[in-house]
Amino acid sequence: MSAKPLIHVVDDDDSLRASLLDLLDAAGFEARGYASTGEFLLNPLPDRPGCVLLDVRLPGPSGLDLQDAMRRQSSALPVIFLTGHADVATSVRAMKAGAVDFLEKPVRREALLDALARALERDASSRAARAQLDQQAARFAGLAPREQTVFDRIVAGKLNKQIADELGVSLRTVKAYRAQLMEKLGVDSAAELGKLAGERASRSR
Amino acid sequence: MQIIRRTATLVFACLMATSLPAASAAAASDADVLVLYSNNRLVPGNIAVDRGLRSSIRNSPDRHVQIFSEFLDRPDFGGADYESTVVTYLRDKYAARAPSVVVAVSNEAFQFLIDHRSELFSGVPLIHTAVAKSYLAAMPALPPDVVGVPREYDFAGTIQQAMRWHPDARKLVIVTGASDRDRVWERDLRRDVPRIAEGFDVEFLAGLPSTTVLAGLRTLGADSIVFTPGFYEDGTGALFNPRDVAALLAPVSGAPVYGPFDTFIGTGVVGGRMPAFDAMGEQAGEIVNAVLDGGSPTSLRLPQATPMSLRVDWRQIRRWGIDEKSVPADTVIYYKEATFWELYHDVVLAIAIVILLQTGLIVSLLLERRRRRNAEIAVQQQRTALAHASRLAMAGELTASIAHEINQPLGAILASADAAELMLDAGDSRREDLKRIVSRIRRDDLRASDVISRLRTLLAKHEPERKPFDLNEATSDVVGLLETEARHRHVILEARLATAPARVIGDRTQIQQVLINLLLNAIDAVADLPEQQRTITVSIERSGEMIVISVRDRGPGIAPEHLSRLFDSFFTTKHKGMGLGLSIARSIVEAHLGGIRVENDPAGGAIFRVELPGAAGAAANAGAMA
Repeated sequence: MSAKPLIHVVDDDDSLRASLLDLLDAAGFEARGYASTGEFLLNPLPDRPGCVLLDVRLPGPSGLDLQDAMRRQSSALPVIFLTGHADVATSVRAMKAGAVDFLEKPVRREALLDALARALERDASSRAARAQLDQQAARFAGLAPREQTVFDRIVAGKLNKQIADELGVSLRTVKAYRAQLMEKLGVDSAAELGKLAGERASRSR
Repeated sequence: MQIIRRTATLVFACLMATSLPAASAAAASDADVLVLYSNNRLVPGNIAVDRGLRSSIRNSPDRHVQIFSEFLDRPDFGGADYESTVVTYLRDKYAARAPSVVVAVSNEAFQFLIDHRSELFSGVPLIHTAVAKSYLAAMPALPPDVVGVPREYDFAGTIQQAMRWHPDARKLVIVTGASDRDRVWERDLRRDVPRIAEGFDVEFLAGLPSTTVLAGLRTLGADSIVFTPGFYEDGTGALFNPRDVAALLAPVSGAPVYGPFDTFIGTGVVGGRMPAFDAMGEQAGEIVNAVLDGGSPTSLRLPQATPMSLRVDWRQIRRWGIDEKSVPADTVIYYKEATFWELYHDVVLAIAIVILLQTGLIVSLLLERRRRRNAEIAVQQQRTALAHASRLAMAGELTASIAHEINQPLGAILASADAAELMLDAGDSRREDLKRIVSRIRRDDLRASDVISRLRTLLAKHEPERKPFDLNEATSDVVGLLETEARHRHVILEARLATAPARVIGDRTQIQQVLINLLLNAIDAVADLPEQQRTITVSIERSGEMIVISVRDRGPGIAPEHLSRLFDSFFTTKHKGMGLGLSIARSIVEAHLGGIRVENDPAGGAIFRVELPGAAGAAANAGAMA
């Protein structure tokens, strides 16, 4: 998380790409250029915060195609589109697909840096969210099978007594499991536990 | 002349009325009239007299009049022997058919008949006509059955006419001779001229040597008029006849010469008032009628002289600048050469009409040609405008790639400039980076302006040019322009240019427009194909005099039913097409004396071929057109 952001520039125009890389460099960013969608996809992405500056019209798969492909990955980087000629249909499609911005070339520096800031912010927050989810998943993974069973029944809204009956254990034993799993999952109340369960359910959907 | 003739007719109508009782008594069933002329039969005066006679001598149901004409052929023939021969001839000829009336025409014939009357036509009434009054006066008294109207001369009338025709003349010169007869004329003139030529400076050249007279006339100017009856003898005693005198004087005189005798006509005199032969013939004819009607010649009351008519030599009218309009309508005109118009006016009229029609035709053809030329110019202008509009439309289709092509370098320039600025702001000493950035800015700037200039040539509205250019270069430009578009539509444009320069003459932009049109069509044609088939080949080859540009795609080809209409206006198979692109392309190519055609490649796809005359051939054609 502490790593410096890396900006990916995908543009088939060598000169423009180099200019953008220079600009980003001068603005204090670390940036990497790609001449095509394929080149971008073939290069393994380091796990670093960042975003993609993507030309809409590219030879081979277009910028929009790349955006689609990236969205299917959980680790999608935010996309800022650059275009030489913005038509409404393309920009709407790009924005609907979650683009941070749709900038027309030539791009003013302020607009570009502003969009970059927002993209990095979005990346940061999605990284944070992803980290939290990862933590939760790790916690769930730490539950013993018995604790897991009890958690599922709590989430299903069953009372301790019912759970004890169903599992054929004593009420006291259920209460002990419950205390252990709440501790493992890092929640203090039944309400928090319910919320966590809701999130998990929605994610697995 | 008409009026005079009518007057004469009237006079004789009166005469006849008086002699009517006698006429009823004698009723000859047939009557012969013998007319004897002094001269040759073809002398104009004779012909005129004959005409007058024949027009006035009447036939009636109970009287048939035959007119016989004889000619003494004077002055060509003469002498006692000749005369006796003629007498014998006439006597023998008319022995069995004696004429009822004999008419003598002019002096010699009259004299002949008087001399030989007893031998020839004894007792037959003799009517004379055109015999000079003076001649008659000089003869002994005539028998009572010899009648006629004498021919008289009109000196005063001739002088008065001359004065009318020369209103600016102030001097009247009168030339007379030295013989007794000349002196009579002189006397008459001296008596009459002061009265008729009032206000004129009158000079008599009377009885002078002819050389003196000639010298005097030579010095005369345009303010003078000369009148002469001619003379028979000059001051030196040399003998002349009047006509010779006129012929001597008139050609050298500095002033117009007038004379009273018709014999003068043709010698150079202008003319004068003279007796009219037609009228004389008519007068004689009326007398013949009266005599045949049984009237006694002695009882006829005849006028004192024949009517006069004005006679002129038209050449002299011209020579002296006499106003032609002042020549009276009844004037007898001699030597007026019929003008071309008078001789050939039918032909002239017909030719004029033909020429007029032809001219009209030519004018209308010229107008038609101009109208067509204007229409052609208008069509040409419309074609140019349409071609331009079509280029704009194509540019519209290409907007995205054009914007992209321009905005790429602009974007790069802006980013580079921003980068440079940030580097400078940061105070880093990154000289190398800055240098690199600046040179890239320059490159991008050139790139942008290159795109713009290419576009400007394509889009600018200009009159079609006729300049030589290389099709190879023009084609590479087009391929360059369309490359972005092709790339983004995942189409490969392949250009196979000619190895040698392919020069044609014409409008480079318009030919490029044709190429763009064909290439865009081809790009559309391959749009739905699998990507590996999206290849378009444009190639340039020389084929004899012609240079052929082929655009080949691997698309579905042209539906056979569309092949024939493909180049028609408003024929389109596209959703958004106007159907003008190929029609404009064809008109452009045809304006370059080339052709455009399409065929389906058996291997799949369509091939468009544009044939243009190579520069050498095109130049030759252009030369032929110029």
